[in-house]
Amino acid sequence: MSDSGERLERYAELAVRVGANVQPGQEVFVHGFVEHAELIRALTRQSYRAGAAYVNVRYEDQHIRRAMIELGPDQALTYSPEWLNTWAEAMAGNAQLGTSGNPEPELLADLEGERVGRAMPLEAAEIARRMHGEHRVNWCGVGAPTEGWAREVLGEPDVEQLWELVAFCFRLDEPDPVEAWREHLDRLDARAAALTERRPDALRYRGPGTDFTVGLLPSAHWGSARFRTAGGIDYVANMPTEEIFITPDSRRAEGTLRSTLPLSLGGQMIRDLQLTFEDGRIVQAEAESGADLVRSHLATIENADRLGELALVTKESRVGQTGKLFYNTLFDENATCHIAYGFGLPYSFDGEPDEGMNVSNVHVDFMVGGPALEVDAVMADGTEVPLIRNEEWQLAA
Amino acid sequence: MDERLERYAELVVRVGTNVQPGQEVFLLSAVEHHELTRALARQAYRAGASYVHVRYNDGHTRRAMIELGPDEALTYSPEWLKTFTASMSGNAMIATTGDPEPELLADLDGERVGRAVPQEIVQIRVQQLTENNVNWCGVGAPNEGWARQVFGEPDVERLWEKVAFCMRLDEPDPVEAWREHLERLAERATQLNDLHPDALRYRGPGTDLTVGLLSAARWMAGGGDTSTGIYYVANMPTEEVFTSPDARRTEGTIRSSLPLALSGQVVRGLELTFEQGRAVRVEAETGADLVRSHFATIENADRLGEVALVTKESRVGQSATLFHDTLFDENATCHIAYGAGFPFLFDTDPGEGLNVANMHVDFMVGGVELEVDAVLADGTEVPLIRGEEWQLA
Repeated sequence: MSDSGERLERYAELAVRVGANVQPGQEVFVHGFVEHAELIRALTRQSYRAGAAYVNVRYEDQHIRRAMIELGPDQALTYSPEWLNTWAEAMAGNAQLGTSGNPEPELLADLEGERVGRAMPLEAAEIARRMHGEHRVNWCGVGAPTEGWAREVLGEPDVEQLWELVAFCFRLDEPDPVEAWREHLDRLDARAAALTERRPDALRYRGPGTDFTVGLLPSAHWGSARFRTAGGIDYVANMPTEEIFITPDSRRAEGTLRSTLPLSLGGQMIRDLQLTFEDGRIVQAEAESGADLVRSHLATIENADRLGELALVTKESRVGQTGKLFYNTLFDENATCHIAYGFGLPYSFDGEPDEGMNVSNVHVDFMVGGPALEVDAVMADGTEVPLIRNEEWQLAA
Repeated sequence: MDERLERYAELVVRVGTNVQPGQEVFLLSAVEHHELTRALARQAYRAGASYVHVRYNDGHTRRAMIELGPDEALTYSPEWLKTFTASMSGNAMIATTGDPEPELLADLDGERVGRAVPQEIVQIRVQQLTENNVNWCGVGAPNEGWARQVFGEPDVERLWEKVAFCMRLDEPDPVEAWREHLERLAERATQLNDLHPDALRYRGPGTDLTVGLLSAARWMAGGGDTSTGIYYVANMPTEEVFTSPDARRTEGTIRSSLPLALSGQVVRGLELTFEQGRAVRVEAETGADLVRSHFATIENADRLGEVALVTKESRVGQSATLFHDTLFDENATCHIAYGAGFPFLFDTDPGEGLNVANMHVDFMVGGVELEVDAVLADGTEVPLIRGEEWQLA
């Protein structure tokens, strides 16, 4: 096996063992773009080696999606085929691996943004969200380097260089990557515990174009992406992951937020997004490009106009250290602080989620962090405690 | 946009599958076929499809299952795939062929490769063929691996030219050319139905075989109607006139005349000996274990399901190319299939003579030296094929 072949297998093994933590006898559900075939094959091999009973593979194809949006009837856009619903249901009690890294990030750029935004199999998305919400799936999302993605990141289709960057973010350069991941996640969990203990009532964001306050829920806790299923399987939902995150009170958001990095979303590129909030809801959405796609989400998907996640990332991040913009949420959201509109994450609650948690069929992360961003914890008595300055963590832990 | 690709896809959607406005369309393809699959999706929507489903298969994940998976995985039919397959009823389907890595599974245990069939899914599909409720079409998808198999080098363009010739894409009006071609084939089927032979007799190098026919089974060619009256052409190209034989009345020996690419292995020089309808001996230069595994583990795989006659007017035959792909090679020359027969050839209950199995494997037996005769009920023998030429008036 070649060096790059060996790296691929080690990468897949880490995703299967540490990420999804596939258990003997589980079925595994693998999905990704056709252009990700090499990695999907390695994930399949490693899943069987880990004792999977069966590996289900579902290839997605953006060109088929483009044909649907461009040439299909209106009802096709939100149609959720029965077999896709069955796939989502069958994940219960099983493992899931998803690959990301868009081979043609602007493939849908010339299509009508409103149709692109509406194009989502709603029922299957809802089932999948429920499976995750009920902690019934040990899952992991990982990046799959391709020529198109490399061209976006590096300006040329240098897949090898992109692989090196991805492997660095993945800690594959460590002598013992499994142990390195354990230590890394312990550090993030300690940071999350320290912040949860202080019980801030809100977060305040200040920066260029940003002046924003968002309320927090007393029953929600900060956490890393290391989760446990209802059946007791520990897994890491994103690899890489550098964030600590919480689900905010979706009823309390006021002010204006400006995104600091472009966002590759559904085949379009959202640049310089500016959102204005009143009473928790987005009342205005502007952007240099892709505004129609975001507006279509806000207009057609219930509660897409409220927030579902706040995440804090500092400059120790391996993704941030690469200095690269990946045009891929899995990576870019781990380079810097981000916020998501759409559904909240049940992982923030020990029992039943608070009614302040947003429920929606979409979850879109956009990046707001950068050297100029200041994040403060606002305590119940109005005191403000600095959390982030110049991308550095300000609390002791 | 590749104009030939779009014209090809349009021909398949309009003439082959004959997608009806409002139908859902199911595309079944290898992941390496994605260029054609995308064109088929575009043309299906242009033809008025309400939704296009795509299921990409991957020989490598299949290999991982056979090599590394547990025994039960081999025959497992996931619920979502059963739902996918069942949803095709009443809708349209296009399957692409052209194996990108024909020998990918060659080093694996032939017995496990042969057993790796999702039984319940195949049953659903066999039921759909019986009820004839899917307008479907199988077509070739040229790719590098397939081209390498055919020419010894990955010359995809040359393969595309061969495939386009077989598909009559060089004709000024391919739709009209297909209409005429299908009429010519239908005429042969009519001749055989009028002649009403009781058996076929094959003679050639290594071959001396008699196959009984069923009086209720029609000969068919070209296209046909679904149970709800949608005319479709199940294979493009198609050059054959075929029927399902009486699975209880096969005697003698038959030798394959072309290699057969099957489940990632290549079966060469297959020789089957039949007694009272069943294959009692299997020999082959390569791939014998795979065929033996079919016969040993899949019920009634050891009986015949199809006999098909092809002559030298065939565009596939004229291309003088061994495609290493059943869809093409079976249309170059006469072939026979072990496994399932075709219930749609019968107007009434087929009865026990029609073979029922979870498998259908075509192998080629034709060539210049093969003689095929119709044996009539009174024992008279009427020549059907000599020197690859049709003998009936």
